[in-house]
Formats: sequence, C-alpha cells, structure tokens
Amino acid sequence: MSRVLTLLVVEDGTEYTDAFRSLAATDPRFPIELVRAGDCEEARRVLSERSVDAVFLDVVFDRTPPERLVGDLESEIRRFGGDQRRAERHLAENQGFYLFNDVAQLLPEAVPVVLAYDFSAEPERLTALRKRRERLSGVPDGTPIFRVLEILSADI
Amino acid sequence: MIAAALTAVVLLAQTPALSEDCGSDADTLAREAETLLAEAGPRPSAATLDRARRLYRRARLLSPSAPFSLRAADLASAAGDEEESGDLLSEAAEGDPKLVSPAERLILARRGEARRQWRDAIAQYGHLRAALASDPGATAWIDGKIGRLEVEVEAQAISAPTIGQAPPEARLALADGRRALAVGDLPKARERLTLAWKLSPGYVEAALALAALETRESRAPEAIRAYRDALAADPNRLEALVGLANVLWDEPDRAAKEESLSLLDRAAAARPDAISLLKLAATRWAEWGDAAKALNRIDTFRRRAGAGEKRTTENFRETLARRVDAQLSGEAEPGGGPSPSEAPLEGASPAIDQWKIAQAYFRRGDPASLASALEHLGEAERLDPAFARAPELAGALHEKRGELALARAAYERAIAADPSRAATYERLALLLDRQPGREADAEEAWRRAEQAGSSEALFHLAETAGRGGRRGEALSLYRRYLAESPGGVHAEDVTRAIAALESSRRVSVLVLGLALLFVVLAAGAFAYRRVAGRTFEEWLREEPARAREARPIVGRLRHEVLKHGGLLLADAANRLSEPDPEARRAAARLLLSRLFGSRGREGRGGLIHQASDSFARLNALAEEDGHRLNLERKDRLFSPIAEGCRVLRGLEPALSRIAEDPEKVEGNDVRHVAEGLRRAAALFRSNTGAEVSRLLDEASSTRVRLSELQDVLLRVCAEKGVAPPPVLEPLGQLLRDSSGSIAVRVDRGDWDTIWRNLLANALDAAGAMPVSEVRLGVSAELLRDPVTGAPTARFILADNLPGALTAEMIRGRAADRGWGIVADLVRRHDGTADVGPAPAPGYGKGVVLELPALEPEGPP
Repeated sequence: MSRVLTLLVVEDGTEYTDAFRSLAATDPRFPIELVRAGDCEEARRVLSERSVDAVFLDVVFDRTPPERLVGDLESEIRRFGGDQRRAERHLAENQGFYLFNDVAQLLPEAVPVVLAYDFSAEPERLTALRKRRERLSGVPDGTPIFRVLEILSADI
Repeated sequence: MIAAALTAVVLLAQTPALSEDCGSDADTLAREAETLLAEAGPRPSAATLDRARRLYRRARLLSPSAPFSLRAADLASAAGDEEESGDLLSEAAEGDPKLVSPAERLILARRGEARRQWRDAIAQYGHLRAALASDPGATAWIDGKIGRLEVEVEAQAISAPTIGQAPPEARLALADGRRALAVGDLPKARERLTLAWKLSPGYVEAALALAALETRESRAPEAIRAYRDALAADPNRLEALVGLANVLWDEPDRAAKEESLSLLDRAAAARPDAISLLKLAATRWAEWGDAAKALNRIDTFRRRAGAGEKRTTENFRETLARRVDAQLSGEAEPGGGPSPSEAPLEGASPAIDQWKIAQAYFRRGDPASLASALEHLGEAERLDPAFARAPELAGALHEKRGELALARAAYERAIAADPSRAATYERLALLLDRQPGREADAEEAWRRAEQAGSSEALFHLAETAGRGGRRGEALSLYRRYLAESPGGVHAEDVTRAIAALESSRRVSVLVLGLALLFVVLAAGAFAYRRVAGRTFEEWLREEPARAREARPIVGRLRHEVLKHGGLLLADAANRLSEPDPEARRAAARLLLSRLFGSRGREGRGGLIHQASDSFARLNALAEEDGHRLNLERKDRLFSPIAEGCRVLRGLEPALSRIAEDPEKVEGNDVRHVAEGLRRAAALFRSNTGAEVSRLLDEASSTRVRLSELQDVLLRVCAEKGVAPPPVLEPLGQLLRDSSGSIAVRVDRGDWDTIWRNLLANALDAAGAMPVSEVRLGVSAELLRDPVTGAPTARFILADNLPGALTAEMIRGRAADRGWGIVADLVRRHDGTADVGPAPAPGYGKGVVLELPALEPEGPP
C-alpha cells in the first residue's frame, strides 16, 4: 500500500477501531486513517463530508438503541406478526447487512466493503449480495486484523 | 627361683653317683671338697675338680645356700663349664644379692641378653644399677639398656602374624560359604567355610564367617573355637574380639566372662570411633559387679556421645556412681581380667622380628617410641617387601602422628604387598572417612574391603547407602552384616537400622500406594471429564428442537469470541513484541479490556466472560433435557475454544504487569504472553464457527419432499375419516422435480406439526363439500432476503375451499387452535405466516409460510 488508507469503521463499540488503530500504529505496511461511525446516521454523515477508501461494517449492533438502527422496522414488525421485539432484535443482529444495504448506495463502486460476517459456509449468500456490490467481502472467523486490512487495501 | 629349682632337680638326678657321701651334712661335704682342692694345689686335676663339684652339689642339695652356689659356680667355671657356672652364679645372686659383685651382675645381664632372656637381663641390669646407685652418671647407659630390653620383652609377647594371602581355592570356598549363608543353606555354608579354613589355616575371614555361622546356630564351643582361630591369625581383628567377647559372655563360667570383658576392652581400645563398644563394656562391667570400671567406660562413652545418648545413659551413670561410692566405703573392687591369649610366634618372614619390636614401640605411644617403631618398620619393609603388616602398622603409626598422607601411602603399600587383606582396606577406608571430600574414595576402599571379606565393610557400605538414599541397598547390606556377623560390633546399630528401614519402606509402600491410588483416581477423573457427557452434536442429534434456542447462543459465541478474538489476538501478540514500551503497554491494556473487561461494561464483559456465558447457557439448555454436555473437554468443536480461554486466563497477571509498567517485565515474560496469545488465536481458528452453525443446521433442518407432505395429508384424512383422501398437487417446478429440494431450518417434528395443522384446518374448512371437489396444492420456492441475502423458503398451501381466511386469523392468539399452533411454531423458527393469492388457477387462496432455509446444495 503506497498511500494512507482512509477507512470508515462502522460499529456499535470500539473493538474493531481499536484493533485497526493498534495495527496501524505498529505496522508500517498499513498507513491508515481511521474514521469511526457508531450507526448508520453517523456513517452517512461521514460519507457526506468526505470520501473514504474502504468501509468496514460490524454486523451485530446490539448495543445500539433500536431507534438508531437502520431498516424498515414497521415492515419487520409486520413480517414477524406484530412482534416488535423480534423485529428489533432481527434488525440489531443483522444491522451490518442493513448498513451495507443503505450505505453502499452512497459509495463509489470501487470502494471495497468488508462485512464482519463469515460467509464461508454460505458462499451463495455472498454471491447474492455481491450482485449489489461487487467489492464486498466477508471475514471468516478468526481472521487476524492485518488480513482484513490486506483485503481492504487491495488495489489501493 | 626357677633356676634354683631346676638345679635342685638336676642334683637329685645325680644323687646315686654320690652314694659315698650319704649321711654327711652340707658343711661336712663342703669342707671335704675344700680339703680335696687344697691338697691338689693351685691347678687341680679335672678329676679333683669333678669330685669337688659333686660334693658341692650334694651340699647344695642338703642346704641350698648362696655361698655354696657361688663356690660351685667358681668350680664350674674352673672346669670350663660356663653354662653351669652362669646358672650357679645366677642362683647365688638370687639367694643373696650381696654376694654378687657388679661385675658378676654385668656378666649375668649379658648372659641373659645372649640367651634372649630379656626379663632376666632386665633384672640383672636393675641390680647393677642399684649397686652403682651412688654414681648416677655411671648408670645412665643402664637405663637405656633396660628400655631397649623392655621393648624386646614386649615384642616377644607379640604374636607373629599369618603370612601370605589365602589361595584361590580357599577364597572360592569362602565365597561359596557366604552365598550359602545368605540363602540360609547352613549345612553347605558350614562345609564350605570349614573347607576354606582347612585350605588356608590362618585365613581369618574364613574363621570369622565360620564363627558367625556357629554363633547363629547357637553352637557356642564351635563358635569360640572359630573366633579363637581368627584371633590367633589376627589378634587385633575387631570382629573377632567382639564376636568372641559376646559368645564368651553368654557362657556360664566366670573365667569365660572375665576373658570376655578383657576382649571387649581391647576392642574398645582398638577402635575408639566405635563408641558403642564403650557402652557395651560399661554395661557388662556393671553386670560383672565392677562399678568403677563400668563408670569409667560409661563416662568415656558419654564424652564422645551425642546429646540424645547422653540423656539415655544418665540414669545408668548415676547408678554406677552410687555403687562406686559404696565400694569406696569398704568393699574391694574385683581385679582386672586376664591377659588375652596370644598366638605362638611364627617366623616365616625375616621382617617379623623388626615388626614385633616396632609393635612394642608403637604400643608405648610416646613420640620417641613411635620414631623408633618407624625405623624398625622401615627395616622390616626392606627385609621383606611382601610383608604387608609392616607398612600397615606404619600407616597406623602415621595416623597416630597426624600424618594422614603418609598413612594413606603406607596403607597403599600394604595393599600392594597383600591385596587380599581386608584389615588394610578397612584402615584405609576409616582414614579416608575422616577426611572431608574423600567420601567416594572411602566408599571404594570399603567396597574393596568387602570384597576381601570384611563384615565391617558391610556395615559402613550400608551406612553410606542409607545416607545416599539407596534404602534397598542399605537394607540388603545390613542384613548381610547380621547374617555374617550376628555378634558383631555393630549388631545392635544394624538391628535398629534394619527396623527403621523396614518401617520406612512400609511407609514408602503406603505412600506409593496412596500416590498410585491418587493417580488412578485422578486419571479416572480426567478420563471422566474427557469421556463423560455429550458433545454438542450428540445433544442436538437427540434434541434437534433445541437447535433453535442454541443458535443465537452459538451466534454470539462466534461473533464475540471467535471473530473478535481472532481479530485481536495475533496482532496484539505482535504489538507486545515491539521494542517501544508504550506500545507494549497500550497492547496490554487493550487486551485486558477486551479479554477481561468489566462484565458490567455495556452489559457484555470481556471475551472470556462471553465465552463462559455461552458455554453456561448451552449447558443449562442441555440440562433442561436431562443431558450433561462436555463442551470443554470432549467436544472437538468447542474444546479448542475452552482451551484458548484457559490459556488467555493464565495470561492475565502478566498482562496486568505489562500494562502497569512494561519496562519492569522481563523479556521472557513478554514473549511468554505473546506466545500464549498466538496459541489462543490458533485454537480459536482451529474450528471455525461456521462448522458449529452447520451442525445446528443439520440438526434442526428438514429437507422438504412432496411425498412426505402427501403422507401427512393421508394421516390427517385417516384421522378425520375423509375418504378417499384428496391429492396434494405440486404447484411449481421445485417440488415436482424429485432431485431438487429445499431444506428449511425447522426440525422434523415441528415441520410435521405445522403441516398437520395446516392440512387439518383445510379439511375442516371443506365442511360438507364433497371430497372429490376439494383441491389442495402446494408450491415451494427459495428466495433470498433482499437485505441480508439469507435464503428463505416460501411455501404456499393453496385450496379452493369456501370461507374467508385472513393473516390476522392465522397470527392471532384468538384464532382456532390449529392456526395458533402453526403461528407459534413458524414464529419460533423466525418465519412468517400469511394469507395470499392462489399461486395457480383453480385455487381460491393460499396460506403462505416463509421460513429460514439452508443454502441449496445445487443451483437454486
């Protein structure tokens, strides 16, 4: 990687941000600038203000208040037979996918997106999602952070 | 007096020749002799002299006066019979010392020396010194003369040693005998030991072994004889002295006991280091009735003994002291014991005389005598280099003078001269024992002594083995000692040591047994922990319905532990290896926060807590079904996670230290932490969470086939008495093609229940409608969630039945019981139920079920 990578990390905690920052501080191969967003709204704001080179999306947002979760809650409630709690839980547990669905539209096609989800047992699912955005990748369980950065910084 | 008596005997024998003088008195006879001599003139003839000598013999027989003896001595000298003259002069001097002049005393002394009658010579020189007492300067030479003669007297009393080493046949017989003794074959032992002695008379080891055997067999006379043989061969052999003392002490007669006491004292004097001998001697002297001697010995013992032994002999000493007081107030003490018997002189080596003189000087012990002894021993070695006793005594002498190196060299010379002599090895070993840092050399010397047949060596080797923790060897050696030397000097100590070792061995066996039991129990517990309980897969196979509840738990485990852990650990390990201490501190803090962070923090806690919580929740679920899970040890998918967490837990103290002050933590400790992190990361990677999810899917999914749905319909019709049953028509390609299939994430039981209720409700809705007019069809298709991309199976049960059906009727709790069950089950499996349009012509409506599905095996 020849230049500083601007990476948007969207997560409800700071686990990934800390891990990226820790690696960036010690590995000269990955000069990165980290931008963190705690939810979809923050991510949208960041993307409206600046461009990023890559996006990393956490999947489970169970620490985020339901009202800040992205997704059509009413539709989900209907889908789950009026069960609002289930609908909220579904949104929280799959928030990364909803974020991808929402934020990806704001990103240039070349910007890679990594979703913190292990698609290794569901390759067709990844294939289906890539129809919406070709440069989407998952993270198999146990993948070290530098490997994630390698994926994100490819071709940059 | 003895000489006078012998002369009288001779005179009596000659009496018949003097028959003519019978009836005369002594003075008459003397006068007659003097008359004859006077008549013969100054040069009497031989016949006259002979006649006069006989007359004086007769007179001395009748009256053994000193003047008659002196005159008879003169006549004998005149007749040229110097031997008789000397005897008569000696007799005269003995009868009346004043009659003998100093010159005659000197003649008598010289005569005693020439005849090697040392005591007589000493007595004559003593008279001479008394006669010349008025001029002390003139008698100084006499003192030196007497001193040398006294050494000769002592040397004369010393037995000559047995010369040479035992022949191989004798040694072989001794070895055979000892082996037989060890295995308890006493007749054979006696036969072989006796043979050894016969093959080599003076073979002290054979005699000792035989004596030990006889003692063991309570054959006292035979034992005493064998011990005496041993002592004759080696008068200072400790085992013989003590062994014989012990056997004699058990004899009923007083003389035997007196000899026993004397032997014991000799043994104690010979081996000052064996203080138990002093105690034994004290006990026996006390038993004998000589409290003074007993007190002397017990006091000597206590001076050398330890605190414990002093305490145990305190009362004994007090008793003895009181008895001595009583004796001093009037009772006489018994006399000392007899002198030990000594072996007759032998003169096989030209060095023996020198050795004996040296021995006598050695016994005196003063520096001058020791120096003289060394001179004689040097001469003895020169005369006979093969005479081992000379350098051996030189070794003892050097030891006495504190010249340890010279002593060792002398013993080495003695061993070179006679490698078969056990006593020399013993002396060398004892010498080495006293020198710090020479323990190995001492042990080697004891081993050589043991090979040469020393029972004493067995004791010392046993002691060494005991100190070295070689208990088995020590026990064996002690037992051999008791077998070979039951009355030996160390018998009491050995008996105690054997008892202690056997007790220790019993304890060791007990401890070993307990340890073994512990190991077995631990192994059993370990095996139980590894083998007992069910794996996650086994549990789900038996309780597939639990997959639905287990799935979110596993999902959290994957997300929080495997994914976050995998992202964090390997890189944090690299960062901990950075030279910058602040980088290490930051990495440690991050790890502490992520791994062990406050459990209350945002309701999550650290990775370790997340893992433990997931495990606990899975275990609790299984327990509700009466199953015990063994995820930590037995489950191939979960045990690496548990092991990884264990590794991480162990790193917490070191991580805390690094976080606090990274520069105070050793590099090795940091490397250890980094290795632990990498190991945990590798464990988390070893089985991916995807595999766990696949297990869940397999356990909780149902592959949908039209024929099976048809079977459900047949069963429902049978239950409701609907005949002939209607046909379930496939609507759409997926269910027509038997090769294609859909797998829903609903376990078989719930899947059947859903369809039984759906179909039963449909039949109920048919009411009075003829069966032949009832149309039921089913379609299936695989969809993907538009947002998550997750596969979803949509099933539509279409019918042409009358009556309205709405989504609210299906989902609502107030709905018919069947619909309620369907709605509940579908909801539980994260699915939805709705009412929609008919998917094909000829049908009025359709009940739509959407349920999570598995990824298709082939192209969808």
